[in-house]
Amino acid sequence: MFRTAMSIRKRIIIAAVIQAIIICVICFFGYVSFQAALAKLQAIEIIDDLNISLLEMRKAEKNYFLYKDLSSLDELVTIGQKRYGVLEASRASLVSGLPGLSNKDYGELLHNLRRYVELIQGAIQIKAIPPAQEGEVRKLGHTLTEQSATLLRRERKSVNDIISYSIILLIASLGVVFIIQVVLWQYFFHFLIQEITIMEGMIKMVSEGRLREVATRTFSPHNEIQVAVQAISDMARELEKREQELLQSGKLASLGVLISGVAHELGNPLNNISLIAQTYLSLYDLLGDDDKKNYMGDVYTQSERIKKIVENLLDFSRQKKQELHDVQLGDVVKHSLGLVANQLKISKVKQHLTIADDLPPVSVDAPQIQQVLVNLFINAIQAMEQGGELFIEVGLDREHDQVWVSVQDTGIGINKEILPNIFDPFFTTKSTKGTGLGLSVSYGIIQQHHGEISVESEEGKGTTFIVKIPAQRQDKGD
Amino acid sequence: MAKRIIVIDDEKIVCDMAKKILQAEGYEVETYTDSELALEAIKSQAFDLVITDLKMENVSGMDILKEVNRLHPETRVIMLTAYATLDATIEAIRERIYDFFPKPVKIDELKQSVKKALGD
Repeated sequence: MFRTAMSIRKRIIIAAVIQAIIICVICFFGYVSFQAALAKLQAIEIIDDLNISLLEMRKAEKNYFLYKDLSSLDELVTIGQKRYGVLEASRASLVSGLPGLSNKDYGELLHNLRRYVELIQGAIQIKAIPPAQEGEVRKLGHTLTEQSATLLRRERKSVNDIISYSIILLIASLGVVFIIQVVLWQYFFHFLIQEITIMEGMIKMVSEGRLREVATRTFSPHNEIQVAVQAISDMARELEKREQELLQSGKLASLGVLISGVAHELGNPLNNISLIAQTYLSLYDLLGDDDKKNYMGDVYTQSERIKKIVENLLDFSRQKKQELHDVQLGDVVKHSLGLVANQLKISKVKQHLTIADDLPPVSVDAPQIQQVLVNLFINAIQAMEQGGELFIEVGLDREHDQVWVSVQDTGIGINKEILPNIFDPFFTTKSTKGTGLGLSVSYGIIQQHHGEISVESEEGKGTTFIVKIPAQRQDKGD
Repeated sequence: MAKRIIVIDDEKIVCDMAKKILQAEGYEVETYTDSELALEAIKSQAFDLVITDLKMENVSGMDILKEVNRLHPETRVIMLTAYATLDATIEAIRERIYDFFPKPVKIDELKQSVKKALGD
């Protein structure tokens, strides 16, 4: 198995080199056995020729014995010498490295042939084969024919063996190549699929807005896909950073709107303290001890009120890392309403809050959800310039295990044509008064909570936003 | 007979302090933190001076001013507000507001204004 710390390009090159080596080895063996078969065929040809010559020589020998024809002996010697020359010359090439045709057999054959030719040559000189040698000549002729036939048979068998061996080798090596091919293919397939699956998961997370999970993945990339995965992770980190910035800008935009309400909200306790102090000073002699105590108590209560307003505002504006806690969505709604309470009052908007009983908790970053809700409330207030009614309802969708908040106003409503665009960044109907970030940031926040935000609106009648957030499973059964 | 003043503000402390101060000046003072109840009181009886907050739930200071102008054109109205827009100010002037005090209110100035309004 390859080490995991290798680039895909390297792996493919290694696989290709391995395949090339295997093919070269197969070609080499193929070439060797082809050469062997060729040499064997050459040997067969020579031995075949020898066989024919031997038959002619035996015929000449027979002619002599039957008709005492001396010229046939001349013919025998000529053929024999010629054959001997050929065999002697090809001895090296035929014997070396060829199984089945041993040096000994060949030597015996050559020796017998020479002896046979010499005997006949001797006979030609004395113009007759001496009767004492007749038996040996006949025997030699017979032995030579048999030896040659045996050799021919053996060589033929050997050639057949080489050819079938080559065929087996060829099929086997094709099989090996095929198996290696399949193994490599499987390996790359699994390897790539495995890596791509990781990437696919990350891309899915990015598209779902779960940037944090993707961004926190850090590892040193070893191959091209891991480099791409790393790039996605970097991109998610960058996106998350941008989203944080966007979140903050959206928050600051809401804050700008909140400020006017807050100014009024701060103005009241400040005025109260101021009035108490002035009354205390100008009526000091007329006031009893209880009055004076009560006044100071009131001053304390009013300063606490200021502290609370400032704290709420700071809490809202502070940039924090997302922290999920189990909370009651109803409480988050109440707290958010508190932030815009004065805004509602001065805009003559009457609020109607309904929170269902026994709601399961939700795991959310409360300040972020607060940001979403404040945004929806401010939008609702701004849609009701002449005042109106704001219905806020918190309930449970048992079928989908979601806790939902609906924010319904009786304002001017949203035109059907622009309704699909309202969650787009920088889309605003408030011209210079809006940044176009509020709803897009809200959308991002709810996505990160695996929730949904949807809108229904009718021009002239009002708009309803619905935010759904997955309920936390409670361990106790029903 | 003492001059009758009605003070309307949803902040109880404003009502209490105004009452204390103005009573010390010898006026008869009635206070309301609920502007709806205050409006009913204005409808049923005559006051010499109305001091009202501008931003209030249900019935605003502007509604009070309009109602007073309608029912008792001779009664003067002094308005207090923590947060006044130019539009609201212009509207109040057109409705013949007598005086306008931003919060925090300076009691001496308010006393002066009350005195002047009641022609003392």
